[in-house]
Amino acid sequence: MPCSSSHRLFARSCLILLAACLIGSPLRSSQAKTVHMIETGSTLLYPLFNLWVPVYTASHTNVRITTEATGSGTGIAQAAARLVQLGASDAYLSPALTHLHPGLLNIPLAISSQMVNYNLPGLNDRPLRLSGPVLAGIYTGRIRYWDAPAIRALNPGVPLPHHLILPIHRSDGSGDTFIFTQYLSFSAPSWMRTTAYGTTVSWPPVRNGMGATGNPGMVQALDTNPYAIAYIGVSYRSAILKDHLGQALLENRAGHFVSLTAAHVMAAVRARVNATPPNQAISLVYAPGAESYPIINYEYVVVEKHQPNPSLALSVRQFLDWAISAQGGNAPSFLNRVGFVPLPPRAIRQSEKQISEIR
Amino acid sequence: MIATRFWIRWRRFKSALGWTLSGAAFLALAVAMIQILFYVFAKGFKSLTFKLFTENTIGVGGGLKNAILGTLLLSGTAMILAALVGVAAGLYLSEYGEGRMGSLTRFLSDVLVGVPSIVLGFVGYVTLTVWLRWRFSLAAGAITLAVLMLPYIVRSTELALRRVASGIRESAYALGCRDHQVVFKVLLKAAAPGIGTGILLALAISAGETAPLLYTAGWSNYGWSGRLIHEPVAYLTYVIWSFIGEPFHSAHALAYAAAFLITALILLINLIARLLIATSPHGNR
Amino acid sequence: MWFRRLLSAFALLVPLVLVLIAIFLISYAWPAIRFNRLDFLLHDTWNIGNQYANPIVRRGATIMPGASFGIFFLVAGTLGSALIGLLIAFPLGLGAALFLSEAVPRRLGHLVSFFVELLAAIPSVVFGLWGIVFLVPLLSHHVYPILAETLSFLPFFRRPTGSGYGLLTSGLILSLMIVPFIAATLRDALASQSHAMREAGISLGATRFEVATRILLPGQKAALAGATMLAFGRALGETMAVLMVSGNALNYLPQNIYSPISTMAAFIVAQLDSALADPTGMAVRSLAEIAVLLLLISLLINGLARFMIGTLKEHTL
Repeated sequence: MPCSSSHRLFARSCLILLAACLIGSPLRSSQAKTVHMIETGSTLLYPLFNLWVPVYTASHTNVRITTEATGSGTGIAQAAARLVQLGASDAYLSPALTHLHPGLLNIPLAISSQMVNYNLPGLNDRPLRLSGPVLAGIYTGRIRYWDAPAIRALNPGVPLPHHLILPIHRSDGSGDTFIFTQYLSFSAPSWMRTTAYGTTVSWPPVRNGMGATGNPGMVQALDTNPYAIAYIGVSYRSAILKDHLGQALLENRAGHFVSLTAAHVMAAVRARVNATPPNQAISLVYAPGAESYPIINYEYVVVEKHQPNPSLALSVRQFLDWAISAQGGNAPSFLNRVGFVPLPPRAIRQSEKQISEIR
Repeated sequence: MIATRFWIRWRRFKSALGWTLSGAAFLALAVAMIQILFYVFAKGFKSLTFKLFTENTIGVGGGLKNAILGTLLLSGTAMILAALVGVAAGLYLSEYGEGRMGSLTRFLSDVLVGVPSIVLGFVGYVTLTVWLRWRFSLAAGAITLAVLMLPYIVRSTELALRRVASGIRESAYALGCRDHQVVFKVLLKAAAPGIGTGILLALAISAGETAPLLYTAGWSNYGWSGRLIHEPVAYLTYVIWSFIGEPFHSAHALAYAAAFLITALILLINLIARLLIATSPHGNR
Repeated sequence: MWFRRLLSAFALLVPLVLVLIAIFLISYAWPAIRFNRLDFLLHDTWNIGNQYANPIVRRGATIMPGASFGIFFLVAGTLGSALIGLLIAFPLGLGAALFLSEAVPRRLGHLVSFFVELLAAIPSVVFGLWGIVFLVPLLSHHVYPILAETLSFLPFFRRPTGSGYGLLTSGLILSLMIVPFIAATLRDALASQSHAMREAGISLGATRFEVATRILLPGQKAALAGATMLAFGRALGETMAVLMVSGNALNYLPQNIYSPISTMAAFIVAQLDSALADPTGMAVRSLAEIAVLLLLISLLINGLARFMIGTLKEHTL
């Protein structure tokens, strides 16, 4: 047995050490020209980004953009921590976050809206009229039956069933929850006092109430549970139509019941766009005006003003300028497919101003 | 006499009932297993295209080339790291680990097996991704996975070495071999199939993990360009988890295809691992 | 000697990693542990507070107004789903192991049990996928309505049967994931029993089933209990599959067996998103406190299992 030579062992140890060093050292190959951007956040913006990116990268071959659906909270937090360049969010930055990260910008890219849907056997073809206070009553458990006086009063002549209502809410953190609870908060003061609004709120315990994850989970829960009600992002309208679920007319600030159409969304945008401050942190929910649809919002991208190098900053600026332009990302060929509405000219100018601050 | 006969019949009946119930239990498991495999393979097979292997993911469409290579890269790197440390630690435990430190290490390594993978992922995110500023990267993902694999490799290495007859060690020492010579020239060779099986099974576990990678490796629509840090890496399990929740047919097809690929890969690794131990002269399982 | 030292340095890395994780997690979660106190376990309101208000100071910590971090509903969901999983997995694993090691020819038994035990190799996320696209629709449309009808005399089995995402669905998936641990341990333990024991039993006039259950099984109680304990630990910490089929309930306790729930491990993934948006950081630190709790549970379960069976065997890894 050749138990005398330890050369091979030595050689092997060296190899192992070498491998360890290789793995341990950050191997920064300068991939020079190609810029890799990461987008993460809102699940509502995600489909739109996925429509944008292949088209944009086809004409800008030096840019790579990775898209991820993680949730608005992650979008904001990872943009703030500079883990990603583009954080997508359905909600604008809170004052506390802006204070903590003064370099963060929230820039509207498009306008989204939200449906209130229900599953009432036999009545799904008939748009029910619902108001913020009635929805607040349903989601706190004060209004328990479909034929409760408050609902009957809004829908005279509709044969509402005497059946328990199953309110469904999002159980994950979500921009949809943010704008829905804002609608309830702005229209029903009691909701504002007890629950208020946010991407996750402490839902009042309602018998029969249930949580669902993501918009697909909401659609499925609504589909499988007769007498349920849910709030769902407009991108999922085709799923609602396919499953023959009901869609409510919602009461706006002027007291009119309006359906979710592009015209009603545009009316609400027009009513609020002039009030938008330069930092564009504003809620579009419950806008004034007889024609305004009440639950709409800016879809934001959250970007850090100070990028690590000028070439990355330039790429981010170029992409965002393209995204908000009517010939680029705001073209109907993109937005119609997800049910979004383009930014009005004034909002585009404001967004452009903010984009130009990225250095 | 009649009472006895009745008693025997009663016992026979009970036995038959017992076998029926335990047979039914087995059948339930077998049916569940077959159902899962059938479902994953049937759905996945329909979604398999040539494009999956040649194109990167574009949004929720395209192929899975980036994810397939990313899974191999992440698990492979993690395996190298974990095997280096794990085999050495297993050697220590089996050869010199009789004392206090040995049994403490054994216990804590078993505890590490039981730590939920999301806890490792959370720690990896806060320390490697954020604190060390590695961002989403191969290094953060692979190190987190390596920690997950480590205890499996340590314990399977130890058990494999313990099965090597002590006579072999003694004769090696009697021939004048030093510690490291005994280990490298005798023990590791004799226990290689067992150690290899352990490493392969750990590899299979790591390839199927999702939770530790979500916040360490991130996700990328592109193939890996060679950077250890600051560049996210794609992996198959992410596609399953994330794309099944999207309302698009192309997303679902990718999720099914990814499930098919990862399940097939893991079953294959398991099969190889079992064959390795079954055909080895020292394997006695 | 240098070689032994080198090896022991590597061996030391294993406990070191665990200790570092523990120290890191506890120190990271410390502000939350101090702020939440015992309310963390006893209350069931998880609320990261009004993110659009200004931070306030309460109990010496900066938080958003309305913030409170109570995870009693998670403790209930975690224990409930794991217990249901165990209740289903235990008889299945026991029966299958008995059948495969005592009623089927040995070679066939080996082959078939290898196949069934591959259940443990299937990734968690694949279980979740199968749960979403196959199990949940099947259960919610066909099985649960019947179950609720026939078992309506039992309090927790009554309607409403919900969306199919929930406690029982999670328990069912968990049971499939942990059953191989129980079956494999028992099968190995039975296989190691001498033929003399079996022959002695038969010659005394016992049926094969009686030999298996009265003579062979009692000697394996410790191994079985240990494996069950470890399987329970696995069920408590399972993340992705449960995340995908549990319904991710927030802030409420299960009303019946079909209710949506959430578990501690799944909650970390589900809520890290929202928690990261909390500018005070208390939400993320409270999630770290959940991770600390999971670490403690793992320590406890392994301690107990070790107490029962001594050291762990290969297949329980």
